[in-house]
Amino acid sequence: MHKIKLRINGNEIEHEVDARLLLVHYIREKARLTGTHVGCDTGNCGACTVIFNGKAVKSCMTLAAQADGAQIITIEGLAKNGLHPIQKAFMEKFAIQCGYCTPGMIMSAYGLLTANPSPDEAEIREALEGNLCMCTGYQQIIEAIAHAADVMRGAGKKK
Amino acid sequence: MMKLDEILVTRNWVGKPVQRQEDLRFVKGEGSYVDDLDMDCHQAAILRSPHAHARIKKIDVSKALALKGVIAVLTGQEAAGQTKPISARAITRPATQYVMAVDKVRYVGEPVAAVAAEDRYIAEDALELIEIDYEALPPVVKIEDALKPDAPLVFEEAGSNVLMHDLMEHGNFAEACQEADLILKETFNVHRYSSTPLEPWAIIADYQKGSDAFLVWANDQQHGRSITNVCNTLGIPTHKLRLMVPDSGGGFGIKLALWPYIVILSLLAKKANKPVKWIQTRREHLMAGSHAPDANVEIELALKKDGRLLAVGIKDIQNDGSFVHTAGIYGLIKFATMVGCYNIKATKAELLSVVTNKGPTVQNRGVGKPTMIFVLERMVDLAAKKLGLDPSEIRFRNFVKPEQMPYTTPSGEIYESGDYPACLRKALELVGYEELKRRRDAERKNGKYLGIGISAGVEPGTSNLGYYYTARGTPEYTGNAEGAIVSMDYDGNVNVLLGSADTGQGHATTTAQVIADMLAITPDNVSMNSHVDSLISPFLGHSGVYSNKFNDVDLGAVVMATKKIRDKMFRLAAHMLELDVNQLKLKDGKICSAKDEAKAVSFKEIASLAYKKIVFLPEGEEPGLKEIAYYRNPIAKLPNRKDFNIQLTHANSVHIAVVEVDVQSGMIEFLKYGIVHDCGRQINPGIVEGMAIGSTVHGVGASLLEDFVYNEDGQLLATTFMDYMKPLAMSVPKFELAHMESPCPYTLLGTKAVGEGGSLPSLAAIANAVEDALAPFGVKVTSLPITPEKVVRAVTESKII
Amino acid sequence: MFSNRFEYFAPKSLEEALALLSTHRDDAKLLAGGQSLLSLMKLRLANPKVLIDLGRIADLDYLRVDGDKIAIGARVTYAQIKESELLRNKCPLLPKTAAVVGDAQVRNRGTIGGSLAHADPHGDMPAAALALEAELKAVGPKSARWIKAEDFFVTMFSTALAPDEILTEIRVPTSDNTQSVYLKAARRPSDFAMAGVALRLRLDPEQSCEQITVGITGVADRPYRAFSVEKALRGQKLSEKIIEEAAARVTDGVDVAEDIHASKKFRSHLARLYTGRAIRAAM
Repeated sequence: MHKIKLRINGNEIEHEVDARLLLVHYIREKARLTGTHVGCDTGNCGACTVIFNGKAVKSCMTLAAQADGAQIITIEGLAKNGLHPIQKAFMEKFAIQCGYCTPGMIMSAYGLLTANPSPDEAEIREALEGNLCMCTGYQQIIEAIAHAADVMRGAGKKK
Repeated sequence: MMKLDEILVTRNWVGKPVQRQEDLRFVKGEGSYVDDLDMDCHQAAILRSPHAHARIKKIDVSKALALKGVIAVLTGQEAAGQTKPISARAITRPATQYVMAVDKVRYVGEPVAAVAAEDRYIAEDALELIEIDYEALPPVVKIEDALKPDAPLVFEEAGSNVLMHDLMEHGNFAEACQEADLILKETFNVHRYSSTPLEPWAIIADYQKGSDAFLVWANDQQHGRSITNVCNTLGIPTHKLRLMVPDSGGGFGIKLALWPYIVILSLLAKKANKPVKWIQTRREHLMAGSHAPDANVEIELALKKDGRLLAVGIKDIQNDGSFVHTAGIYGLIKFATMVGCYNIKATKAELLSVVTNKGPTVQNRGVGKPTMIFVLERMVDLAAKKLGLDPSEIRFRNFVKPEQMPYTTPSGEIYESGDYPACLRKALELVGYEELKRRRDAERKNGKYLGIGISAGVEPGTSNLGYYYTARGTPEYTGNAEGAIVSMDYDGNVNVLLGSADTGQGHATTTAQVIADMLAITPDNVSMNSHVDSLISPFLGHSGVYSNKFNDVDLGAVVMATKKIRDKMFRLAAHMLELDVNQLKLKDGKICSAKDEAKAVSFKEIASLAYKKIVFLPEGEEPGLKEIAYYRNPIAKLPNRKDFNIQLTHANSVHIAVVEVDVQSGMIEFLKYGIVHDCGRQINPGIVEGMAIGSTVHGVGASLLEDFVYNEDGQLLATTFMDYMKPLAMSVPKFELAHMESPCPYTLLGTKAVGEGGSLPSLAAIANAVEDALAPFGVKVTSLPITPEKVVRAVTESKII
Repeated sequence: MFSNRFEYFAPKSLEEALALLSTHRDDAKLLAGGQSLLSLMKLRLANPKVLIDLGRIADLDYLRVDGDKIAIGARVTYAQIKESELLRNKCPLLPKTAAVVGDAQVRNRGTIGGSLAHADPHGDMPAAALALEAELKAVGPKSARWIKAEDFFVTMFSTALAPDEILTEIRVPTSDNTQSVYLKAARRPSDFAMAGVALRLRLDPEQSCEQITVGITGVADRPYRAFSVEKALRGQKLSEKIIEEAAARVTDGVDVAEDIHASKKFRSHLARLYTGRAIRAAM
């Protein structure tokens, strides 16, 4: 068993975990934050994407033990003062059907827009290389991210 | 049937892209999928056969049971002792199969044992401790091999690997062939693929000792039928299973086949004192989570030299793997779509369902219609080439014309409305067809190979259940219908419960829009819980989310239940205002006098009378404001081999794909993709657009990337999302869409199907485009998927993909 | 999805890590980004009894100029390589290659050291390391040595590292007027290469090939230097004929792999095709 202490969405938590417990299972079961999803076995689908020390990362490809001391943002941590512009944009642009890929998509978008506030369409598509959606065919998701980028720039938000 | 103006009193919401009310919980990560439900559960893992075909000689679970943290173990033998075999539907030979393998295994991944443990990690450890002696048997994997006279039999008792063989003819096929100037024949092969919903199968089963009953949560797509299937298999009365379906992360038909696992989990739950949860891993999903079957289709097209199609015949041999419940289902649905959008007067179909040691199949998005439209639209293109006609021209010459609507096909399918020529014209204009052809021809001189592919698809919806029994005789279900409960609460808001669940189609929002316009309120005043609970939801045997039935019978039930509520509200309002019902009208959450809007009662006041001040109710009026309605599609015919309608509504579309093929590497890139889509009246264009694009991308994946490849030992080689390749955002073009609306005369709101949508015509559009690009090399596309290797081999050697 | 049990250590120093490795040797695997290893462990295709996490060791993720070389700590991520101004200017082949490895999330965690030590026969970074004639620092309990990239990849998932050695640094030359290219034949951009060609080329003032190195991945049981291609180009004026003939040598001396994505024949074809294209792109 390994003791880990980390911050998730600004809240400090600590647990003893099995070495083999994946971070995604830790987030879902120990931290009881079920917005981060599991969609595959091999780190291809991105449904488990969280922000880990400032970077978009697949939490199914990380051990909970590796997260000791980390700062993590999950989908539940995005809406601080009301919905985040990315969340609003997804709703406005019909970027959601079954909702299962949505948290991962939004966190990847958050990662992208943090590093690149004015991505073009090709850059948005590239940023989503690690996120699968089976429902939307991606088009409305891309429109949502582009729109969120516009809104975030327009409101003078910094990185 | 009610007219639209009688149903909708305002037009503020229907037809508008209203933001989905479902989305708030999804963007916040507050969806409640099965694995999110807060329950203290044991976790199950399933041991699966590593062999495609083998006898089970011995199974020893003692070491697994002894592992710390293991609660229970269930073997196939035990399960068979407590259950009936899996029910078959379309096959006509005996084939006994239980929910877990008993004396032999028939596919890699078939369940042989199940473990419940304190957590999933321990359950997986326990699987490795189960010792099984297998005696390998020769597997049969390909259709050709399954048909050989000395082929190993997947089900010995069937005496053959052909479990269904049917032949149907409509119109005079022989006569049409005699009349023809030309008969074209071709054989196509379509591979196995799947829509692979992002959330795999998920089940929680809880055995209630006190009442000897089961509580089950599962992302099941067809609970109306699953309850029957599970209870019959367990040998329990249906009221002993309460099945609940929460949020579901995509279905696409794949979640129609999970009910045998509800049986397995229920048996495990009986051995445990806590609920037992099983979340399917992606590997399990790809191996044993069900595929669309692969098929060889021989097709024959009889035509005149002016391009008129006279007859179409198919011999369809389908590789159904080894799941008896769904084997044979596809054949008749393909058959119903045989004539596509065309005036073809005679058809012949020989349909075979073959079992092999490949994995189970299920009604994946489109259920054979993608294959049928692929085969037909490929043939139409080949015919155009043969006759020197432009691919658009041959289609114009053969489309069912709008003035022929409603049009009955030779087998009895009723195309209720649609303007196929206008749809194609619009599509040609959308992509700039003439300019594209010029560009393609010019680029060929520069050694760049562009191709344009057209595909016209009829998109049927609402299955008339029971069609597959035409080979067996007695249908267990017929027609299609759904139930809805609509109620007004104390505050005057509307609440809805539907008989079906939702797997991402926005049922709640769509319903809210319809009801808002029926009661002159806003969608914010209407809430629908799109979960299903068999204790509460108004379901029928047909209930579920499949074959696009929502737009037809689900909305029909919503309309009829709302109408009942509305009529009662008017009666109560008339009573309260001392007027006659036909002197009243709805306005802004009130019912008022048509002559003097100041004379009004609010919905809240009406609800108050109905629920609380009941002594003031008019004579003969019951308290309460909650109505249930069951609505069935009005045109469903009884299964009749001469004249049956297997699908009850028909949307249509034209897809035009433009690709560039790198003939040296075989890589294919999209340059353009246009879709003109007619799904009748659209309730929410934002939702419709998402489904039109998403369904088309399923076709992109199927045509170019996805393939369940088996080796000759029956081992599935694509068991991860690394090897089973799904389209990424970078794999798909930016789609250009245009819409038409030819309302359906047989649905209450004139709506038609949109869910399967683009998955039907896209295979042919892409294949036609690739063949067009490779025209200078004389390549013909007769199989899917179109991989770079196949392209290069065709260009350099074989001329065939 | 659920790996076997293992013991997990997160040593704070290289010495501690080396000591653990010496103790556990073949029972142990080193964990850097985990983007390759964890995948195999979740499928129970790799079942190390011990996992030694290098993530807490200081000073393993540096990126600095060292004379005419650039020294890269083993734990530098693909994302850091992709974004590095220094590398874009002085060794662009690395950022070009890192940019097409996996996806954004993988690039944020996966490391160059992990990639090279894992030695996936389809990995992109090994091809770049070969084309760069990188030198890899292998630190053992008693001493350190430098291994040339061309000697590093032994076979599938197997390197010249001894069981008690850790790869700590990669040294690459600064770009000294060479043009570099990494071309990857893949069905989707984030996939493993069916054939990947990393190439550095320098032409002399007469447009003859002065210097050429070619690293190939995805084709054989290990990433390799295509010495035959290099020999056929060196000193030659690069006409179409020369390029084609050289590219045709790319599978000399190796057994071309076969899998569901490409047959032997097609893979060989792609290797030749992409080698030719890489040469032309670098000109």
